[in-house]
Order: sequence, then C-alpha cells, then structure tokens
Amino acid sequence: MSDTAGGNAPKPSSSVKLVLLGEAAVGKSSLVLRFVNNDFQENKEPTIGAAFLTQKCTLPTRTIKFEIWDTAGQERFASLAPMYYRNAQAALVVYDVTKPSSLTKAKHWVAELQRQASPGIVIALVGNKLDLTNDGGESAGGSRSPPLEHGSGEDEDGEEEEANDVGGGELPDSGDARKVSTREASSYAEEEGLLFFETSAKLGTNVVDVFTAIANAIPESSLKTGRGTAGAGQTSLGNRSAEDARVNLGERNAATAKEGCAC
Amino acid sequence: MESLSEQPWDVIVAGTGLIQSLLALALSRSGKKVLHLDQNSHYGGSEAAFSLDEAAEWVQQINQHPSRTPFEDATIQVLRPDSDNQAKLAASRAYTLSLSPYFLYTRSELISVLISSKVYRQLEFMAVGSWWVCSSKEPDNQGHDGEAKQLFHRVPGNREDIFSDGQISMKAKRTLMRFLRHISTNGDDEEQNELTDDNMSEPFTNYLSTKFGVPAELHRPLLSLSLSQLNEQQTSASFAVARVKRHLASIGALGPGFGAVVSKYGAGSEILQVACRASAVGGAVYALDTAIESLADDVGDEVTSDSKYPVKVRLSNGETVSSGLVFGSAWDVPSEEQPNCTKVARSITIASSSFASLFPVTVEGAPVPASVVLMFPGDTLDSPSSPPVYLQVHSSDTGDCPRQQSVIYGSISIAGSEGQALLERAVDRLLQAEGPEASALWSLRYTQLGRLANGGPACSLHSHSSHVFSFPPPSLDLAFEDQTVDLVKEAWVHVVGSSVPHDEFMIFEDREGTSDE
Repeated sequence: MSDTAGGNAPKPSSSVKLVLLGEAAVGKSSLVLRFVNNDFQENKEPTIGAAFLTQKCTLPTRTIKFEIWDTAGQERFASLAPMYYRNAQAALVVYDVTKPSSLTKAKHWVAELQRQASPGIVIALVGNKLDLTNDGGESAGGSRSPPLEHGSGEDEDGEEEEANDVGGGELPDSGDARKVSTREASSYAEEEGLLFFETSAKLGTNVVDVFTAIANAIPESSLKTGRGTAGAGQTSLGNRSAEDARVNLGERNAATAKEGCAC
Repeated sequence: MESLSEQPWDVIVAGTGLIQSLLALALSRSGKKVLHLDQNSHYGGSEAAFSLDEAAEWVQQINQHPSRTPFEDATIQVLRPDSDNQAKLAASRAYTLSLSPYFLYTRSELISVLISSKVYRQLEFMAVGSWWVCSSKEPDNQGHDGEAKQLFHRVPGNREDIFSDGQISMKAKRTLMRFLRHISTNGDDEEQNELTDDNMSEPFTNYLSTKFGVPAELHRPLLSLSLSQLNEQQTSASFAVARVKRHLASIGALGPGFGAVVSKYGAGSEILQVACRASAVGGAVYALDTAIESLADDVGDEVTSDSKYPVKVRLSNGETVSSGLVFGSAWDVPSEEQPNCTKVARSITIASSSFASLFPVTVEGAPVPASVVLMFPGDTLDSPSSPPVYLQVHSSDTGDCPRQQSVIYGSISIAGSEGQALLERAVDRLLQAEGPEASALWSLRYTQLGRLANGGPACSLHSHSSHVFSFPPPSLDLAFEDQTVDLVKEAWVHVVGSSVPHDEFMIFEDREGTSDE
C-alpha cells in the first residue's frame, strides 16, 4: 500500500518520477510499452489523453519504481509538460533516428528541462526506431533480456542488468533510413551531460538498458529528498530523516473506512 | 488533435485552482470531454507555487494587470545578509513558494477524495506539528543563545500535554478539561443543545469564562486552535467551538501526535497539479496561456434549442470553441459582476534558520513535523485591537526550501501597509528570538482577495446563465476549507446529472499498470 515500504522486497525501494518528452510519433509510448509490458504494437494509434504507468527496476542495492508520465497526444498545446517535469527526477527525451527535425525538437526539450526542471534531474537522450536502420538489431548484441516482471516477487534474480552497451560512436551512416548519425547525437549528449542510447521499441533493443542506466544515475540524495535539491547535511530536527516523517494517507483508508465518513 | 475547436466539449473548466482541478478530474473520469484552460502560463491560479524567478515574474504580472487575478500590491525584497559567513539564498529552483500553504486536517473531506480517487499515491504528506502562541512578555534571557521557543507558549495538544504543562495552574487545567470534555461529548445533538443552553453568538472568550470558568491565560491558546482571523471580541463561540472540536478530533487519525498534514512541494499547489495530471490521464485536454475572452450562451432559445453545446467561447488564442457547460473562478469567467471579497495581507519570507526548537516531536512514535503554526495576538505586536497574525513555518522537509532554511508564510486579515507592518513585526520578533544567525533572506508581500473563514457570505456556485457558472472567491483560511469538496461535487452533479450514481463521486480504480501490487 505504501509507496516506499517495498512490499516483501528486502532492498530499499524508492519511487522515481520520470517524464517522457519528444515530438509526436517518435515512439515514446512504444518505448514505455516495451519497458512495462514487453510488448509492441505496429501502427499504434497516437495516444489520446496522457498516460501514467509504473514499472519496477531492480538494481543490486535497491529497487527503483518508475512512475512514468507520458504527455502523449497533447504536445501541440505544450501545456502538460511543465506540470509533468515539475519535481521529476528523470526525463526521457526521445527522437526518431530517421527524422532530423525530431532531434531539433529533442534539443528544445533538453534546454527547457535544464532551464525549468529540478536542478538534479537525470536526462536521457534516446534515438528510437533503430530497427529502421542497417545496424538495427546488432548494436545491443541481438537478443535482449525481457523487461523485469511486475511485482516484487522476482527481485532476487533481477540483477542481470549490466548497462554496459551504451550506443557508441561507431555506427556509420549508410543507405538505410537513418538520417541522424550516432556521432552527432552522442556528441551533443556528451556536451550537455545527458545519458545517450539508441533503441528499438519494436525489437526491444536497449530499452531496459535506458531505464537501468537512469536508475543508476539518480543520486542517492535525490532519492531521499524526493528531488535534486542540494543537501547541506542533516537537519537539526533530530536524527530521523524526512523519509521517516512522511505521513501515509493509506493508514486512514483503513482507519476510517469503518466509520463510513467518506462521502 | 491539432486545434481546440476541432470538437465540441462537454465542459470547459477555466482556471487551474484546486477546485477546478478536482472538478476536471471528476468529470474526465466520468467520461466527459473536458477542456481545462488557464489564462496564466503556470498551473494553480491563486494557489500556484513558484521558484524565486517565477515569483518575480508573477509580481510583475500582478502589478501590470490588477483585477485579472485576486491579488494586488505585490512586492519582493531581497535582503543582504550582514556578514559573509551567514547563510545565503540558494538557486531560484531550490524553492517552492506557495500561494496556498494551507494544511489539511486529517479527517478532511479532501483526504477522503484523494484516497478514493487514488490521487494520493502521487503525493507526499508531512505532519503539521505544534501550535504556538506568542507571549506578551519579553523572554527573560534575551540575547542569550536564543531559541525561538522562549518567545512562545506551546499549545497543549492532548490530555497528557495539558497535565505536564508547567505554565498552567492546576485549577486552570481542571477548567480546561471540563471545556474539552463538554465539546467532545457534545455529539450529534450539539446544535440543539448549544442553541438552547448557550449563547453561541457571544465572543468565544466570554463563553469560556462564563460557562466554564476557563481563565484568561488559556483563551489565546484555544483561540489559536480555531485559527480565527478576527480579533478576540469578534470571534464567536459558535465559530470557535466547532473549529477547536475539529482540531482535537483530528489528532491521531493518521498517526500519533498530529492532527493535520501539509503536502510537500508547495502544499495546495502540488495537490492541484497531481489532480490535473490524473485528469489528463483521464482524457482532459490542457491549454495554458489561454483565457476566455468572451462567451455567448444561446439562452434566448433555450426552450427550443436542442443543441448539446450551446455555449460559444472565444479564447485568447483566437479560436472559438463550443461547450455544453462552463465552470471557472470569477476571475476566469468574463462577467459584469465583481464578486464580494475581503482583502488580507500575506507575506512569504525565506529565513536562514531551521527554528528547530519549534518542531519538537511531542508524542512517542510521532513523525517529525514539517510545519508549525504561530499565532501573534494583536497586543504582542503593539496593536491590541487588531486581529492576530498567523505565521506558518515550513521546514525544509516540506521541500519548499533548502536545508537549514525555512519558509515563513504570514497572514493577517488587515490589508495594505497596516497589515504588512504587523506581518513584518511578527516575522522580526520570531527571527530576533531565534538569535543573530537567523535573518530574512528574501520576502514577498501581497494583498489577497477572498473569503475569510469567519462567517461571510454563503459559499455556493454562482450561475451567470443556465450553462455558465463561477465558483466563490478563494478561501483565505489557514486550513483547507472542506466546503470546497462539496462545491466540486455540486458542479459535478450538475454535469453528470443522473447518468452516474452520485455516491460514485471521485471513486476510481487504479488504472491498468499503475497499481502498487
């Protein structure tokens, strides 16, 4: 019931708010669908309404529960994003490797995040639709491990993520549908201090790796305070951290249901 | 979707204050096509929260466009610390300064709604700790390594507290217990009882002395629990008793040692944004920077008109959209009539101290509080006949500011320079009592228009035509006003009619893929 209690998992568990940004039709929702359900829909309709999904990601020392906010379908009005990236600890900025204008749009989002979002936000730049290029299935070594299962029962053996195959700069341009070179995007990502991946939501290439890399990049301090404010040591309010001080509204759920005070 | 006018809307909700955001959520999850607008480029309207830079922009907006929002006379002061080793202001985004710092009593209707709608999963709540009343005497050892609590008397929060309080005489304790027993046992038939037995329209303080013999020294602590925004003589027993009762009944409902909670990252502002996000997931479409410029309702033909979308709304982006109904605040829905408002002075001060002594954990197992309430009666600010100043101090645990700093939210129901002077005096007394390390780093002062908790006009939906409605002006209460939820429900019922059972208001299942299990 509680966000932070982590069910039966022995590892500390934290929620991470992640916002998904990028031009329409670059495959944002497909990436999340692949990550959350290990599923892909060809010719998916544009998402109507925004979307909210959660998925756990198990690291050697802790479990991260991603709360994923997708502005889907409402990019045109640019009104959801400010609310979505407020207090977000991570952002996935997606472009389409076959569409240069989508990288330009992605750069706008990165600039806006750097200007407006929490100072410690972890940003990953993701070039999707790698399956439409010649180097499609290869870059991540063929088969990908399926995403982690739902629930916390599988946590014990959920440590297969190595996150070692970040898309390098070695992929050459060729006669395929690729219009954005890996080098161009990765050097931009390096300049701006972003994580960088090329993915295929269709094949599953690198999808889990993106989320694992983000999970690893979230600073501990930001997990404790819920956002990336610089902490100058312990408060003088006693030894207990703010984490302990949170009030669980779920408690009242049980307590007051009997009294029938809910309208 | 390429344009807002592509389709007609069941409902247009104008303004993204909490009341509108809850309505948009309720309607979007009841299958209605909702367009949710805000004239500003930020969420929250009169309940928004800002970084330092955003606050500066907001001040400019307020002063350039008076009467577009329920605010006036906003100013910012950036204060330079005296010496280099003193704490400094952090980066703009390290702060979340809230125009709606209200807390929620633990039995609030809003909490029920947040739970039943599952929206609470995206929120973090912290406990509101002690209530403190400024004493009229100067602290004995001033200048000694100060601690703010010397200036205040902590209001006892429960029986044990009352018995262990060294400053209250035995006799006074007995009268207090009698009063508390009376109001806690006085159950459902209270109103009849009180109407016949007691004169509940007399001042609360008279009621305490004549009926229970509660000595004057205890009047102020009890008044502070009522959060009355009027002075002692104007605060009626009927008002204060109900609210002291609410205060006491709330303690323990969500855990030991506290009766109220405050949402992290900007209090009311965070709650409404979470509601808007959930509403967007439910299918509502959001457009900021988009005001209603004018609207026309074909009321003339109402009997004959069979249009489902009779309201034509002209938006500031040049589009004209059709809608079945329109709801908004009085500042979002164009109208000839001005709502009837009270003005109060408010201030937000960033202080270079954590005021640790004001945040004790008073009950075993209670969470560390993140917010406390300080009341300064008029005479403690050399203005005996004025209403009290309330300061709500938010620690960094609220996420409103960096560690070792606090945000002090002040309010008094006197507008203009007189009110601001009293607010400033109260903040200065607090800072001085804490010691030389404590100073104000930044402050925002403004006048807010709205409704006081004490009395005032009835709080109901105002209809401009049979399809256009506005909500009453915002509540100026320190605690969240539960009637807000009733208003949301009233508006929701108006839209859904009999198509949805009314007891399903705001009761939603978790969406696929989002539960914790």
